[in-house]
Amino acid sequence: MNLRSRWFAVPGFVCIAALATMLSAYSGASSSEGNSPVQPVAFRHTIHVDTLKMNCLYCHFSANKSVDPGLPAVGTCMGCHTVVSGSSPGNKAEIQKLAAFWNKKQPVPWVRIHKLPEYVHFPHMRHVNAGVTCQTCHGQIQNMKQVYQASSLNMGWCVNCHIGQSNPPFRARYDCSSCHY
Amino acid sequence: MSTEQEASPAIGTAPNGVKRREFLKVLGVGTAATTMLGCSSESVEKLIPYLVSPDQTVPGVSTYYATTCRECSAGCGVMAETRDGRTIKLEGNPDHPVNRGALCARGQAALQGLYNPDRYRGPMVRRSGQLQSVSWDEALQIFAQKLGETRSRGAGSAVFINQHESGSFPGFLDGWLAGFGMPAHLSYDADADHAAIAANRQSYGVAWPRFDFRAARLVVSIGADFLDSWGAMVPQQLDFADARADYEAAPRLIYIGPRRSLTGLNADQWIDCRPGSEMAIVRMLQRQLPIEAVAEATGVSASVLDAFGREFAATKPSMVLAGGGGADGLEVALAANALNQSRGNVGVTIKPNEGYLGFDGMAAPAELRALAERMNSGGVPLLMVRGANPAFTLPKSAGFAAAMAKVPFKVSFSSYPDETSELADLILPDHHSLEQWGDAEPVRGTISLQQPTMDPVFDTRATSDVLIAAAKKDPGSAARYPMADYRSWLIGRFPGGAAGLAAALPRGIASGSLGESTKARPVPPVRAAKPIEQSSGNMYLVVYPHPFIGDGRGANKPWLQEIPDPVTKICWQTVAEMNPVTAEKMGLANGDFVTVQTSAGSLTLPVLRYPGMQRETVAIATGRGHTHAGRYAKAGFNPLEILPVAEDRAGGVAFVSTKANVSKAGGYAQIVTTEGSARQHGRGIGQAIAIADLKAGRPGHDTGGGAEHGEEMPGEAPHEFLPGLRSPVANDAQGEQGDPNANDKGMYDPNHWSGMAKRRWAMTIDLARCTGCAACVSACYAENNIPTVGADWQTGKVLPDKTGFGANILRSREMAWIRIERYYEGGEDGGADFDTRFVPMMCQHCGNAPCEPVCPVYATYHSPDGLNVQVYNRCVGTRYCSNNCPYKVRYFNWFGYGEPARAQYAFPEPLNWQLNPDVTVRGKGVMEKCTFCVQRIREAENRATAEKRELNPDEFTTACAASCPSRAIVFGDAADANWTVTQLAKDARAYHVFEELNTYTAVVYLKKVSHPTPATAGTA
Repeated sequence: MNLRSRWFAVPGFVCIAALATMLSAYSGASSSEGNSPVQPVAFRHTIHVDTLKMNCLYCHFSANKSVDPGLPAVGTCMGCHTVVSGSSPGNKAEIQKLAAFWNKKQPVPWVRIHKLPEYVHFPHMRHVNAGVTCQTCHGQIQNMKQVYQASSLNMGWCVNCHIGQSNPPFRARYDCSSCHY
Repeated sequence: MSTEQEASPAIGTAPNGVKRREFLKVLGVGTAATTMLGCSSESVEKLIPYLVSPDQTVPGVSTYYATTCRECSAGCGVMAETRDGRTIKLEGNPDHPVNRGALCARGQAALQGLYNPDRYRGPMVRRSGQLQSVSWDEALQIFAQKLGETRSRGAGSAVFINQHESGSFPGFLDGWLAGFGMPAHLSYDADADHAAIAANRQSYGVAWPRFDFRAARLVVSIGADFLDSWGAMVPQQLDFADARADYEAAPRLIYIGPRRSLTGLNADQWIDCRPGSEMAIVRMLQRQLPIEAVAEATGVSASVLDAFGREFAATKPSMVLAGGGGADGLEVALAANALNQSRGNVGVTIKPNEGYLGFDGMAAPAELRALAERMNSGGVPLLMVRGANPAFTLPKSAGFAAAMAKVPFKVSFSSYPDETSELADLILPDHHSLEQWGDAEPVRGTISLQQPTMDPVFDTRATSDVLIAAAKKDPGSAARYPMADYRSWLIGRFPGGAAGLAAALPRGIASGSLGESTKARPVPPVRAAKPIEQSSGNMYLVVYPHPFIGDGRGANKPWLQEIPDPVTKICWQTVAEMNPVTAEKMGLANGDFVTVQTSAGSLTLPVLRYPGMQRETVAIATGRGHTHAGRYAKAGFNPLEILPVAEDRAGGVAFVSTKANVSKAGGYAQIVTTEGSARQHGRGIGQAIAIADLKAGRPGHDTGGGAEHGEEMPGEAPHEFLPGLRSPVANDAQGEQGDPNANDKGMYDPNHWSGMAKRRWAMTIDLARCTGCAACVSACYAENNIPTVGADWQTGKVLPDKTGFGANILRSREMAWIRIERYYEGGEDGGADFDTRFVPMMCQHCGNAPCEPVCPVYATYHSPDGLNVQVYNRCVGTRYCSNNCPYKVRYFNWFGYGEPARAQYAFPEPLNWQLNPDVTVRGKGVMEKCTFCVQRIREAENRATAEKRELNPDEFTTACAASCPSRAIVFGDAADANWTVTQLAKDARAYHVFEELNTYTAVVYLKKVSHPTPATAGTA
């Protein structure tokens, strides 16, 4: 890089960085809101939660007792799906995909949707046991054909609830060290 | 599923044929896969579930497995905290009779052995001079074939050397060896004081009695470093600290020896005798030698000896401990024991019936030297070594490594590369002790159980299982080994069988005995000493075991390299310690190179002026300077390379009293130390009060470091925890809500609905208990993901003048959330009469913190529950806070030690498996410091809330307090009178460091209690 191009490169980078900062600030921050990746198996929360009325905790078994909500093991899926093979050709195909993972003894590589920023701790059980429904943060998941990120997961969005501005209202500590450590 | 399996993780291959660990590796973590797009949290992470959920575990919730520590011979009980299949933290087992919940630095660092990045990945065999990986099937085939060949060619000369351990394994091993016609194994521990063990056995009938410091009024230690690594360190420290904390009845401790070790620094008086002259002092106490002759032999003034002799004669009960490894070590130890017997101390202060059994059945170094001679003459067809590293831990002049070349086939069962395994032809790597089954009988009547705490990290196998597999292949032994593995063998012998073991495992201990068959070896005969050959030289050479690294087995654990030596405060470096007066005479400043020349060789290394050295002596620590023990172990030098072989009559190596020629060499190396000054300069950081003053209720002024007698010292002001904000002048940091006159104090109001300000987290540190051992420091490293920064590749490339191990520390870029400050009082003239203060120093969590108002981005602030919080997200790394901190406890993350992509990454795979998932791994450019283990506070609060209750007093504690083998640190809620910390903070000895700065700290120190020599006591 010669001297001349460096003189342009530095201010140019600063301009682009400033523009990016402004854009992200005014776009409601976290751009991952609405993120809805295609999953390796098209698991239908609509069927399991809305139609079959399964409790969230059947699969996400530690959401009420651990910081970690728990991701169902493939064996948990196969507990039912060794006998439930699906009612439509589309569903049958997806269940066969699941069975293929099971037969190969491979876990399903789900694509992560909800991820808090670094340096933040979110204990699931504190929220679940306080009566915050799963939907409060994760949206109307029982109606999602393909799960998407319904909330921004920004700090402002967290604090809004902690200081009692949500509907229905909750309140909780809003000190930094409640979550940041 | 049986209860036994519930109590232990699934081992090896899960029923579905897939290793659970394979999935744990990637389970829901995925930080390595994070690709940040702009500033969003969008990434390409995957969430990998289990194939089949393991029973009895909840993701994100720790499971605890009780097992036995194998880092030294004592056999402490540990609770291994395991999260999502990985062991992340070790704590002492509170029910265990040996360590009673405490754990030392070496024990904490067992995790860095488990996850050591240089461990053998699997079996290896030497082909055309190179070690090559092979499958276990092939390796076992080779092993079985060699065993068969040896059987036909005289198995009686084959040798098995095992790292000394107590329990069933030694007996199991000897049974196995007998099946092949081989002699009993050699159980070797290079750290052990063989002279003391032999003398104890002869005098008391046990290898290591319990020393009841509480019962003693005077403890005389003749080179017996019972707080360093001499014997059962943790229980000795617990007993000693308990005795000293009861300060009115506390024993005085007098240390006699050429080098003031950590035990010596904890002594009230040091008698700096010449190396090898200890016997003269013992004979003086026996009234067999006149004081003048003793003064002549030891170089100690007659008046000091006279006062000591009279104090000893007048004080009952007392305790005389002798160790230290002189050439006449056995005679000194026997004479000391005889003194105890004649003074009626046995059964009173020295309790053989409550002794520690972990020191039975050891082979002496002399036996290994004899073995080396036998190997040299071609008399050993097969050598097997497990754990021990004789090629490094014996003096090089014993020629063990060279003799190994004459052995046709060498098998190593070592988990790690070391100087011995590097010479082996076949490597069958053992599981780490946290991966395998076993047992120990550390005290009579208690079986301490050892169980796997997680699946093996690498493709290793327990040696016990390998031996069973090899026996099954041998027609002569197969019939005696019908059991599937060693665990089945243990169950077969355990009282109550499988059900009994399952019931005992959760507590980790069971009452009972492993029986006499486990005491593998008879008492070795007392032999003729191999005398010291070199008798000329201008100084005495003292070689002592490093308190953490020991005989060298801890050298590849970066925590143990980086935590400063408790005495010298040096890390990553080997130095020659000399008295400042001697160094001055020779024109040596700190860091100047000297050459230490003996008949066995010479070593050139930097000098450290240490006032705790006898003036004719130079001392060098063992353990560093490896050639083949991994990436961290290369730091420093190995003094055993120049130690001529000499042995006492118990067969132990004579580590002191060899003469050496010490001369100034050209060159200089900066001393790698975290210490700014060894003096307090009147700042009153580590304060002490004489026992007479304390009893009389006098303030005791002459204790703060150089202040004139009677002058008011800083920190004498009455201390208290203030209500509410706990600091009337803390407004700056808390803005409007910090204003005491404001109507709305928010969460800082104790009556706020969140109740957060009802608590004030605080800590007391009792300097009368603290011995400066640094167990707390190692516990903090383990708990809080503290990176080590001293490896030679972790330094920046900007300043090429400072390279090598410890370069970052030379540039004051160290990292430690808690450190032990060590200050000397007196002895400025290089004399022996100086006192030492150990002050554990971490963030003081000031109510009125100087760091808070200077932060331009509010990254640090005071929380309502009394914590000085560091918010990493906000921190932009101005380092103003660190500049303004009077305690210098804030550390800057200079190089992204927590970022795997950087060269300075502190946790090379799989060391990163140990990282605590509850604590952020900090990135480059943020300030970090002690958080009072906020993750433990929040976890306890979460648990209490889930159980719909308030926190119970003393329900949890910080990592440093949990580990402390002196019980010096107490943590809790100072706003609640039911917590122990509240009671302790009211002690008459309480003070805050730098109280005059109005920082309103949350850490209360309790003054050290000094016990001056009786002749001078009471004059203050």
